[in-house]
Amino acid sequence: MLLGLILLLIMLAMWLVLSFETNTFWTANNMANLLRQGAMIAILAIGETFAIITGGIDLSVGAVAGFVSMAVAWLLESNLGLASTIAGAITISLAIGVLIGLFHAFGVVQMGLPPFIMTLATMYALRGIGLYITNGATISITNDAFTGFSRASFLGFPWTDGTWFQIPMLFWMVVVVAAPAYILLSHTRWGRYLFAIGSNKEAARLSGVNVNAVTYLAYVVSAVCAAFVGVLLAMRIGIGLATQADGWELQAIASSVIGGTSLFGAVGSVHGPLIGSFILTTINNGANLLNWNPFVQRIITGLLIIIVVYFDTLRTRKR
Amino acid sequence: MVSTDAAAPTLTSAAPLGGAPILELRKLDKHFGGTHALKAVDLVFEEGEIHAIVGENGAGKSTLIKLLTGVFPRSAGEVLWRGAPVALATPHESINLGINAVHQEVVLCPHLTVAANIFLGDEEMRGGFLDKRRMARDAQKLLDELGFSLPADAILSSLTIGQQQLIATARAERRGAKFLIFDEPTSYLTRQEAAALFKLIRRLKTDGVTIVYISHRLEEVFELCDRVSVLRDGALVGTRKVSETNEADLIAMMINRRIEQIYHKETVPIGATILETEALSGLGFRDISVRVREGEIIGLYGLVGAGRSEFVQSVFGRHPATHGRVLWQGREVAIKNERQAMKLGIALSPESRRDQGLCLNLGVGLNINLAIFKKLSLGPLISLARESAAADNQIRDVQIKTSSRAAPVTSLSGGNQQKVVIGKWLNHGAKLFIFDEPTVGVDVGTKAEIYRLFASLLREGAGVIMISSYLPEVYELADTLHVFRAGMIVATHGHKDASHETILTEAIGA
Repeated sequence: MLLGLILLLIMLAMWLVLSFETNTFWTANNMANLLRQGAMIAILAIGETFAIITGGIDLSVGAVAGFVSMAVAWLLESNLGLASTIAGAITISLAIGVLIGLFHAFGVVQMGLPPFIMTLATMYALRGIGLYITNGATISITNDAFTGFSRASFLGFPWTDGTWFQIPMLFWMVVVVAAPAYILLSHTRWGRYLFAIGSNKEAARLSGVNVNAVTYLAYVVSAVCAAFVGVLLAMRIGIGLATQADGWELQAIASSVIGGTSLFGAVGSVHGPLIGSFILTTINNGANLLNWNPFVQRIITGLLIIIVVYFDTLRTRKR
Repeated sequence: MVSTDAAAPTLTSAAPLGGAPILELRKLDKHFGGTHALKAVDLVFEEGEIHAIVGENGAGKSTLIKLLTGVFPRSAGEVLWRGAPVALATPHESINLGINAVHQEVVLCPHLTVAANIFLGDEEMRGGFLDKRRMARDAQKLLDELGFSLPADAILSSLTIGQQQLIATARAERRGAKFLIFDEPTSYLTRQEAAALFKLIRRLKTDGVTIVYISHRLEEVFELCDRVSVLRDGALVGTRKVSETNEADLIAMMINRRIEQIYHKETVPIGATILETEALSGLGFRDISVRVREGEIIGLYGLVGAGRSEFVQSVFGRHPATHGRVLWQGREVAIKNERQAMKLGIALSPESRRDQGLCLNLGVGLNINLAIFKKLSLGPLISLARESAAADNQIRDVQIKTSSRAAPVTSLSGGNQQKVVIGKWLNHGAKLFIFDEPTVGVDVGTKAEIYRLFASLLREGAGVIMISSYLPEVYELADTLHVFRAGMIVATHGHKDASHETILTEAIGA
């Protein structure tokens, strides 16, 4: 909780500095844009955190998002009746996420593969399958009701300069994911078991925890979050292409780690990766407005990861 | 321990051999939190002797090794190496002096070749590159000299544990060890492997290396060693020349004959049979027939590796038994996994609290509640109020000293950690409690508290199976005591109806 507060302060400090340094940052428009930009990484990071807490990792989330963007576009552009309606296509896309998560957990639990390897393999394979199906082509989405959602907003409030701040739908989708994720992680026994497994699998097993089932849960949550991001991505860019969301898995892991998740497992939260992802987004957004070389953003992100994790190591070393 | 000593007159006899002292311990002392693991030990090792150290589990043998090899710093006392005081603060310092240890479980790199392991950390170089050819040749020469018929380019993991142990010894010799500690080296060895190891140890002795030989097996002490020191409850009971003592003497020195007040035993009426095994066999145990009834404690005594843990883990659903039957309250059951065992009403508090018992970096509360979260839930959600109440109650009842229920288990002392492991099961409402080494590494006060918890379980009509390598506790507490050796029950006794000597002899097989 303390770390969460510190991270929040860091983010607010960044916002403060950017508000003074540029006159384009602290506007209703830009802040709404920032929420929109950060939304997808935030959702990926929340899902990713479930896998990391169990002591695992999910390298495939970017590939899943890309693959699903292709799948949902393909469904919408086909004539498959119910499956080509918006609701049908989204449902099937999320179901694809469930299947991928089950497959990951099957590899980790039943085949005994290290999570890093299992998800690295699907990361490659999913991009390949997506390209193979479409023969590398981009599927344009003609359904305006679908793509319009990403530009829509819901509720708002007056901004400091008198304009109206509209909360983007994409950010509401973060809330839609984060709220149940928080309840699952912090208020159900399954959440407790995720931590227990990440800390000591054997102790959890000997305490009657169904270690296999909980591992399945973690990878399914991660993959479903990624599939959901795939749908949002297709909405936002209006196309389906399996090579989209390239490198997002690393942004998700970085957000999670900045948010205090330990890659050794058993330490993590929902609010941590949430704030972590918006800190990363702020860096990107701010660097753009400051006209910094875009490559500098990556350098800053790298340094930030080292600093945050270093402080975390100090904290755990003291124990 | 709260007792005075029975064997007082001969206590400090050091029985010197007349060699030059190489390592001298003066009032060596070690505390771990509240545990007094080593108590003012005075001991002189002479150059070129084979010095056995024997004692029960928890007597302080491993603590002594760890102090000598620089793994832990000592709490008080002095160590002299060839007459000069040394700190032994780091493993590096000990190795530089020439003090090496060969452990029961080999600590080498299993994926590297024998030659690479022998030269690990001290590689031969030529022009900045590894001189692999020379290392392979030298390693092979060393192996041949030692009389091992092993290829130097074999991958270590392809060898047996016994062969790996020989490699570890050869490695120590090559590094110029002057003082070599063997910690239970023959536990996993076959007879031939043990014979090869003894040959090597004798050879090292003629080269002037001082050997410290730690073993449970008294017959090995008589076969191999010059002198023997006995530790008990962290204190040195005495040192004897092997030629001037016998097994009965050593056993008498090893066990504390004092009836200790800490053993709290209540007699409760014995009720119906809870669990019965009929000629149960499985991996590591054979033909085990045991019956537990309401209100009684069944003790399983034996040396480490005698098959006791394997047996109870099988009953708990860990590894299926290959033969025999398990009856739960009179009905035959096949317990396939831990959850099924728990559903029947079996609780198992495992042997190693670090590896199996605790989620170390998580909170005390989570650990205590881990087995009962279902009970603390309302539908899918955990009732946070019930969760904290359950944790706080248990922390109070079991008297766990912790700053809060959220404090990580690592912040607790060993004794309090053990209370978390045990406390976890008390809320579970089980009918049969299995405690595997419940008092390892905890101080006397905590032991007494743990025994009182057992008594309260019995009063509530539960049955207890208690595994222990510490004879006094099973001796005093068990209504029925089964002695395990090599995977079998070799003897069964009623409450205190045999002497310590008899039971220990049965367990060792002397």
